[in-house]
Amino acid sequence: MKDEFAPKIVGFLCNWCTYAAADLAGTSKLKMPPSLAVIRVMCSSRVDPVLVLRAFLRGADGVLVAGCHPGDCHYEKGNYYARRRFALLKSVIETLGLDSERLQLSWIGASEGPRFQQVVTEFTDKIKKLGQNPMQKKTSL
Amino acid sequence: MVEKIGVYVCECGPNIADNVDIDKVMETISSLPGVEVVERHKLLCSQNGKKFLKESIQEHGLTRIVVAACSPKQHEVTFMKVCEEAGINPYLFQLTNIREQCAWIITDKELATERAIRYIRAALRRVPFHRDLAKKEIETNPDVLVIGGGIAGMEASLLLAGGDRKIYLIEKTDVLGGKVKELDKLLPRMESSLNIISQKIQEVEQSEDIKVYTKSEVEEVLGFLGNFVVKVKIGENKELELRVGAIVVATGFSMFDLKQLPRYGYGQYDNVYTALEFEKMNIDGKILLKDGKPPKSIGIIHCVGREERGYCSGVCCMYCLKFANYIKSKLPDADVSEFYQELSIPGKAHQKFYEDTKAKGVNFIRYDEVEVMDKGIKYKTESGEEKTSSVDMVVLAPAIEPSGDTGKLAEMLRVSQGDGGFFQEEHPKLAPVSTSMEGIFIAGCTQGPKNIPESIVQAQAVAGRILSSLIPGKKLELEVKTSEISEALCIGCQTCLEVCTYGAIYFDEMKRVSVVNEVLCRGCGNCVGSCPSGAASVKHFTTTQLHQEVVEALR
Repeated sequence: MKDEFAPKIVGFLCNWCTYAAADLAGTSKLKMPPSLAVIRVMCSSRVDPVLVLRAFLRGADGVLVAGCHPGDCHYEKGNYYARRRFALLKSVIETLGLDSERLQLSWIGASEGPRFQQVVTEFTDKIKKLGQNPMQKKTSL
Repeated sequence: MVEKIGVYVCECGPNIADNVDIDKVMETISSLPGVEVVERHKLLCSQNGKKFLKESIQEHGLTRIVVAACSPKQHEVTFMKVCEEAGINPYLFQLTNIREQCAWIITDKELATERAIRYIRAALRRVPFHRDLAKKEIETNPDVLVIGGGIAGMEASLLLAGGDRKIYLIEKTDVLGGKVKELDKLLPRMESSLNIISQKIQEVEQSEDIKVYTKSEVEEVLGFLGNFVVKVKIGENKELELRVGAIVVATGFSMFDLKQLPRYGYGQYDNVYTALEFEKMNIDGKILLKDGKPPKSIGIIHCVGREERGYCSGVCCMYCLKFANYIKSKLPDADVSEFYQELSIPGKAHQKFYEDTKAKGVNFIRYDEVEVMDKGIKYKTESGEEKTSSVDMVVLAPAIEPSGDTGKLAEMLRVSQGDGGFFQEEHPKLAPVSTSMEGIFIAGCTQGPKNIPESIVQAQAVAGRILSSLIPGKKLELEVKTSEISEALCIGCQTCLEVCTYGAIYFDEMKRVSVVNEVLCRGCGNCVGSCPSGAASVKHFTTTQLHQEVVEALR
């Protein structure tokens, strides 16, 4: 079982909504694959596309950026900016030869522990199907 | 300088220890470069644990601290305080979450242990890049701006005024009193509305600490709790700049536009009135038809626009019952029918009011569909029966809507609009009068439909919130983790100015660079995400710091 492909996913979670949802999932003892490395940011809009690109160039199999639902942003509209930025970034990563599905933006509210579990589980499954990041070990930044 | 890092692993009782092999964690971590000491503790957040942590930091002369325990949302502040007590800058510490994000969600103990080690390694990579950050405090202005001179705005003003605090009350129209001034009597006691509101207006006008500006509107709002700068337009061409520490929005409501619903015959047939028009008729003293004769039969229709708006306004049923009482006291022989879909009569005094009204011979008719015709009301009952009731006057109870300029004001104040377009409260249950913008509060119908006592309660709550947080002479602690823009790297494109929700970035024309106003910055980092030249950075979440975490995640 341990020889199976274990995807490496970087998860940038906004402090106010999704990080709280992740905590709630934890408090509720909702089990998840150990694929996601959580990095806390204050807002999804903080996630500089460069950070995401660097993660892919370093071999991330998937990157999850998750924040508050539209209209619920702690900083009013940061998540709308994130949404636009990542729509564009998806096409950029395609040009790197990566499937844009490897980058996912999700809205997970603070009370949605089960949804956090679901997003992590489903994204992990999706990445498992897509396989290893083809750039792994080819480039380093 | 080589950092001396201390790593403290909390067992959290059995919570972490049961699913993470702490011995293995300690063994792995202790051999890593820079790690001066690795310790474990049963419960680091306990009094004993905090004492242990403080003493250990001092004993080893540590320059960076990593605590592996629960979520930073739970105990980051706790351990930051310990660091401070131990004499180390609290921002040189990192709490990494091996409980919620590790021990509790990963079934396999070996995998959970591996993940915990990874998280600690990420923190170890991150902390050398942490910087000393200093607490900042600023003077605050205790004065308050109240927008809206209705009952809620006036009540808040009266409670806030006095001591070392000035209140600026901005009213759009030329008089104070708001909608309450347009009502004849107030239920359940049927006392004169004018008496009550006039008394409040008098108190406001006599207060030396309340400055009232009528025919005035807010034009621009900049700033943050404790330090707002507000531009107010007075009359046609006068402008005023006010400096306040908090803002109360009490802009009340509008009535649903009946022209949108032709089936109620408003504007089409004679003797069809809105609730406020009917109040006016009663204030003027007589209930009369257009031809000057008293009506013989009156139909009062509830729930007008409820379906269209998608919510129950909650107050109409009771005032419609009040209308029946107006009619019965002025025209005892007139026939009165209440056409309703649902009756909403909660509260300790309302059931009795309803029963008393019913005992006066008022008819209650539950309708499924209703249509106003010339001198009649056609309706369909619940069972689908079509009936017509002949009436010579109709009074309509339209839904309560946010007042017309809510959208404009919401944008100006950077407060979002929630259900129905009303101002969104910070939390529907726990924080119903504050907003997501610190220092901006909402009271009365601007937050949602409500009756007079509910509006008063909110106004009083707002006053309490402001009085307890904006104390004259007391300084306000600012956000430490603000953005900064490197003068050397900034290319002057001003993208950050556009994305900043808080107006916290300005452009230095001389140097051609963007500059962060740290008083206004909330540290979201949107400017960092949008900066094409890498000039913007947000303290404690710098690109380098986050990159270290990424590197470890993918090692």
